[in-house]
Amino acid sequence: MELVILAIKLFVVFNLIMGLASICTWIERKGSALIQDRIGANRAGAFSTTDILVLKPVFVVIRFFGMLGVINTLVNDGVKAIFKEDFIPEGVSNFMHCLAPFMAVFPVFVAYALIPFAPDFDLFGYHIRPQLASIDAGILFIFAMGSVAVYGVAIAGWAGNNKFSLLGGLRAAAQMISYELSMGITLVTLIVLYGTLDLYEMVEAQKSGWGIIKQPLAFIVLFAVGMAETKRGPFDLPESESELVAGYFTEYSGMKFLLFWLGEFAEIALFAALLSILFCGGWLIPFVELPKGVWWAALIGHIVLMTKIIFFCVLQIVIRWTLPRFRYDQLMNLGWKILLPVSMVNLMITAALKLWWG
Amino acid sequence: MTFAFLILAIILVASAIGVVALKNPLNSALCLVLNFMGIACMYAMLDAHFLAAVQVIVYAGAIMVLVVFVLMLLNVKSEEPVRGGLFFFGIAIGASLVFLRIISSTVFSGADQIPAGAPGLSGTAAAIGEVLFTKYVFPFEAASILIMAAIVGAVMLAKKRYKEAV
Repeated sequence: MELVILAIKLFVVFNLIMGLASICTWIERKGSALIQDRIGANRAGAFSTTDILVLKPVFVVIRFFGMLGVINTLVNDGVKAIFKEDFIPEGVSNFMHCLAPFMAVFPVFVAYALIPFAPDFDLFGYHIRPQLASIDAGILFIFAMGSVAVYGVAIAGWAGNNKFSLLGGLRAAAQMISYELSMGITLVTLIVLYGTLDLYEMVEAQKSGWGIIKQPLAFIVLFAVGMAETKRGPFDLPESESELVAGYFTEYSGMKFLLFWLGEFAEIALFAALLSILFCGGWLIPFVELPKGVWWAALIGHIVLMTKIIFFCVLQIVIRWTLPRFRYDQLMNLGWKILLPVSMVNLMITAALKLWWG
Repeated sequence: MTFAFLILAIILVASAIGVVALKNPLNSALCLVLNFMGIACMYAMLDAHFLAAVQVIVYAGAIMVLVVFVLMLLNVKSEEPVRGGLFFFGIAIGASLVFLRIISSTVFSGADQIPAGAPGLSGTAAAIGEVLFTKYVFPFEAASILIMAAIVGAVMLAKKRYKEAV
């Protein structure tokens, strides 16, 4: 029975990742169009009709989604990627070239195993915790997976066998290593604040007040680091199209390119989930106490958490389409000379406060 | 558990051989990453989750990323096999024997008789932190001073060369 519960959890979490990534893709397409005063995808499927009476309601839904651009972003792009030629440049190691997309996606997906998606609940006599793995290291595991994610882009840049890809991969690796320091120190600050490594207990510890009120500086640092780690927004130096064609995934096409795309959006959603769990009380609603262990309370909590996650996804996408790209020295200065000292001072102050006032 | 251990052991040994035998330095480095990840899996199988996470963060995530970064930056080509002769062969055999002695003394000292997950031995963060800051506080601090000295030394050497170049 334990195995069945685990399998169900695995299925649900995997579909949550894919769902979040798809929603992010759609928000990116349609949101960027709105921000740039365009209309965006609205044609594919928007005029589809049928003569069969039974299917008419289905086609109404299809036309609706077509007008919103959902079919274009999710169905058409996927089909296109599958039928595209899988191009491998000459003189590269085939194995490395195929390994890189998986190395980019795998750590992000594994990190989701630690995210609790709802409060505990009892169903059919089983006590269920909606978290795939509740291991002792908790948030450290997510950090470890974040540091392994560098290999995907580094190998991709190397396996492109041209200078643009290599420069993109090097930039990505340097950027991720630089910002990981601030991220690690900020996470230590939060561990000191909540007194636990477990994400579930961190949410429970925020019943007295959300983390964003207690640690506004840490929130800002982690948000900036999240934007840099996903290599998007003003931090998209590794794939800056005006200098490096497309950076580390210049030579990738078809499904492999889509895997990088998927990993990127899954990472956006992962950081959104981390921000909402660490700083915005996860599934907690301010001034409202939901009953413990009931399935409908868990469902409400899940919806609240997903709302927060999607809010942070939208925020990241809006920032990405609003701000211009940094210069490379500005990027390094921000990482090493601003974020790192700020997070270190923040850690020391938090530790001192914790020591003297509990 | 034994089946998982067997697969893991095969991966570990194969990747360790790969580090030495492969000609392209980047392939060797990635084999070493695989090896470190395998060791982290070993720790996780022994219920030492904290140690596993730290192994991945420090070795696979920090040190090997720097190694791969430098290999890519310098664009190192495949190495020619070096014929070292009898002298290096002897050194290799000697070093292997010393390590074999160390490992065998640990294995046969009965350390493997302790059941996994025994009280007081679990690899939780709290247990490790307590031991690290009470019983082993001197080696811990000594190691941190050593690392600090190494960092300062590296910065000084780099600065010196920079001044000469200018």
